[in-house]
Amino acid sequence: MRLDRSIDLGPCLPKEGDDQIICRCEEVTQGEIRQAVHAGMFTLAEVRRYLRCGMGLCQGQTCGKLVARIMAGEMKVPVSQIAPASSRSPMRPIAMQVWADEKEGGRPE
Amino acid sequence: MKSADVIICGAGIIGCAAAYYTAKAGRSVIVIDADEIIGNGGSSRNGGGVRQSGRDVRELPLAMYGVQNMWPTLSQELGVDVEYHQDGNLRLGRNDRHKEILEGLTQKAAGAGLDVKMIDGDQVRAINPYLAEDVTCASWCPTDGHANPLKATMAFFMAARRLGAVFYSGEKVLGLKKERGVLRYVVTDHDTYSAEKVIVACGYESRQILQTVSIDVPMTKDLIECLVTEMEPKMFPQMLGTADADFYGHQTNHGSFVFGGESGYENQNLDFNCMTTHSITAPAICRGIMKWIPRLGNAKIVRTWSGYEDASADRVPVIGPIDEVPGLIAACGFTGHGFGISPVVGQILSQLACDEKPMLDISEFRYDRFKACV
Amino acid sequence: MKRYDLIIIGAGPSGLSAAIEAGKRGMSVIVFDENERPGGQLFKQIHKFFGSKEHKAKIRGFVIGQQLLDEAAKAGVEVRLSATVIGMYPQHEVVVKIGQGVEHFKGDAIIVATGAAENMVTFDGWTLPGVIGAGAAQTMMNLHGIRPGKRILMLGSGNVGLVVAFQLMQAGCQVEALVDAAPRVGGYGVHASKVARTGVPFYLSHTIKKAEGTDHVTGATIAQVDSHFQFIPGTEKHFDVDTICLAVGLSPMSQLLKMAGCQMDNSGKGGGQIPVVDESGATSVPGIYAVGDVAGIEEASSAMIEGRMAGIKAAEYLGFEAQESGDAEFEKNVQALDGLRQGMFAPQNRGKKIELTEEGIPVSENLLTHGFVADDEIGRFPGVTHRAGVHPVMECTQNIPCNPCQDACKNGCISIGKNITNLPFVVEGKKCIDCGMCVASCSGQAVFLVDEDTGGGHAQVTLPYEFLPLPKKGDMGKGLSRSGRPICDAKVVRVRTGKAFDHTALVTIEVPADMAMKARFFRADGEEDAR
Repeated sequence: MRLDRSIDLGPCLPKEGDDQIICRCEEVTQGEIRQAVHAGMFTLAEVRRYLRCGMGLCQGQTCGKLVARIMAGEMKVPVSQIAPASSRSPMRPIAMQVWADEKEGGRPE
Repeated sequence: MKSADVIICGAGIIGCAAAYYTAKAGRSVIVIDADEIIGNGGSSRNGGGVRQSGRDVRELPLAMYGVQNMWPTLSQELGVDVEYHQDGNLRLGRNDRHKEILEGLTQKAAGAGLDVKMIDGDQVRAINPYLAEDVTCASWCPTDGHANPLKATMAFFMAARRLGAVFYSGEKVLGLKKERGVLRYVVTDHDTYSAEKVIVACGYESRQILQTVSIDVPMTKDLIECLVTEMEPKMFPQMLGTADADFYGHQTNHGSFVFGGESGYENQNLDFNCMTTHSITAPAICRGIMKWIPRLGNAKIVRTWSGYEDASADRVPVIGPIDEVPGLIAACGFTGHGFGISPVVGQILSQLACDEKPMLDISEFRYDRFKACV
Repeated sequence: MKRYDLIIIGAGPSGLSAAIEAGKRGMSVIVFDENERPGGQLFKQIHKFFGSKEHKAKIRGFVIGQQLLDEAAKAGVEVRLSATVIGMYPQHEVVVKIGQGVEHFKGDAIIVATGAAENMVTFDGWTLPGVIGAGAAQTMMNLHGIRPGKRILMLGSGNVGLVVAFQLMQAGCQVEALVDAAPRVGGYGVHASKVARTGVPFYLSHTIKKAEGTDHVTGATIAQVDSHFQFIPGTEKHFDVDTICLAVGLSPMSQLLKMAGCQMDNSGKGGGQIPVVDESGATSVPGIYAVGDVAGIEEASSAMIEGRMAGIKAAEYLGFEAQESGDAEFEKNVQALDGLRQGMFAPQNRGKKIELTEEGIPVSENLLTHGFVADDEIGRFPGVTHRAGVHPVMECTQNIPCNPCQDACKNGCISIGKNITNLPFVVEGKKCIDCGMCVASCSGQAVFLVDEDTGGGHAQVTLPYEFLPLPKKGDMGKGLSRSGRPICDAKVVRVRTGKAFDHTALVTIEVPADMAMKARFFRADGEEDAR
């Protein structure tokens, strides 16, 4: 979808709940997310990369929807317009030595 | 028709940096990117190295200029902590063949004026005690470092936007058009724009855009992969690499480790144009890391990703004006080394767009340097 | 690389059902599940399921789970537990963490049945220990035997919130309030009623303002919200609770499908990001299917049917089932699924305000706003009639596809009528023998046996009872109204248990005759102190 980043969302006025943590894994607050949107980050991927929300242990399973809802609210668009983050392995955190130990994979003999 | 002094195709870190310095110079700027997400190419997918060592000597002046004059003040300049650390780069080896590779690189770089030297295994472990006992040598460049590419890209974007640069993402540039012998128009799937100068900085996609004015930069699109661990206690601040380049990376401010590496099939891997990862690559990177830093075996990986390298035929970028198409400036083919030199390249591109003499000699990066080898 | 005809990811109701169909048709099937135990959510479901016989109605969820496991074993299905699929790669490859390593597998077909995860809402203090998902509470209680807290506030009046609130009480917790920002109860009225009649107050159009406490929850403040979900000042209410349970919906865990390149739908209609699938669960990638909650939030009964359908289609796709016979079998399941997706709670009615039942009866407004049918509303429903002698009273007031009560009565006293979603009614001229099967078979605990006149100004009410300890004959206490308010003295005159009742005890209380149609629960003397 085409996004015009010069759209003026108006000033980012303080709002109730700005201190609330939205991403528990990385401790990112509502206020930080709102400010990022007002600074021009109109996609979830950008907000994630900039603030780290959804980049922790649960990879956004818990906060993904919450962040999208806050963004949609600031941008005044339906939440369905905020594309979810990409899905990447591992689906669950995995220790390096466990992933390194492959059976029948690409491991050299 | 919308117009601007300068139109930049590509909102990666090169395009965003160019937009920032150009807007700062007082020019009107429009940035257009086919991807909905700002910086969704290599800018957000690289290992974060701000290195001088290990580079082709042609790139060294750019890298050294950046480390000496731009990176140390970049956070202040952009108003965002880009997490720049200048704590050195260790390029590791564990046998004679490695030593030979590293010595070759070191000699060339030192000859070009870089502070880099060979050190032995004990010296390596004195710098970084977590490295394996069988590390026998390394090249050590104390002025190298790393930064956070996600933050740096967004910082350039936001700063450029604050200065009035207009960004359209999710809008695909279909082609360029000349008028009376000079480049004038950028045609997209949404609109046509006119400009005095056009900078093309779209990674591999630059190739097809440049082709619309009959310019071809020989490059390939290589899919490479990275991974990141959960937050770990602080262990070491250096950037790491190896003689064989089987892994590279660092520990971030946050505490996570970001590492890139290879399975060896990067050029033959299946690619569905969607930056897929491959089942054998992450385990190979893990084994590579553990060989060098055994302590990281218990670190949990939370995410892997892949990204394209716009690999030019001689593994050095094309940067500069396209003489045959006045008004057109290209910056592509960074071959995976773009992040560390992005502020410098952005500054140079802005100088070119403002018809100023670039602060460094960029003749080595001419678009028409690719000649037959026989 | 180890290759199977079919790899199934997730050993919940849909995954196991798919495995059974595929295994029966001779396919080599392996099911991976990250949990230590199979069954997905089924083994947490201690309540009886709704539906008809073909949907395993009136069987408790954990029993269904065991049945599926037995069937799967018989069909030769291999179930690998503690096996986490960490990625789904090109060319039908999955990488599974098993023990201290990873293994690579390929499946000619892959069915993804990974289910869903709980949603959260944010309020001041929502990250305090003691704020937990309702599903997590259920896991603690029903799988691990741990009480999540002593005094609970439940947020969410959907079926999950209602069912878990009831189970919390069964586990010995006190549910102080059931709260929902929506103006009406979202789940089945019968689930709400069985919670309300124990005395749990419902606060609709209310939500949590704050979880109190410094290092764990010590209380909660709720407040009323207006039609735009904004707090109305001055409406705050405080509760001394140590646990806040959130039952605010589920999100499909569809990441594997997205990673595998399946086309996704983010419109929000399935509760989150879901794969685009056809009727059989086939995604845009040939050979990859998605079934159950991961393809759109529904419930376990429909998930099982969806699983069967995908299992049959995968067998057809790989030539283990002839198309004609497979399609016939598939069609039966389509019918069964259609049967479930009817009535007031059908997917197509989501979000709609329904004013009248299929019979043309105005729905109980009190049920939707307070969780119980008011005394002056109950008489208009066809299951509630007066007659001489003992007779069933079915306080079933919403059209849901369910009919065990009809099957339970061997004397034909109860009929659902033509459509499975119709409200049950008492058949004229049939004799009730007080066997109690209808009471025990109603998954919604909405059937009572009432004798309005047992002489001496007394009446007797037989009610379903699923709490321990059971009252004993002769116990004295109070009869509680549908709202859980003590309205009369009551004496236990009979307590029946039996295998046929499947852990639902039948408690018969004697109450004043004028309370016959009002007293719907029993509380023994001395118990109110605990409450």
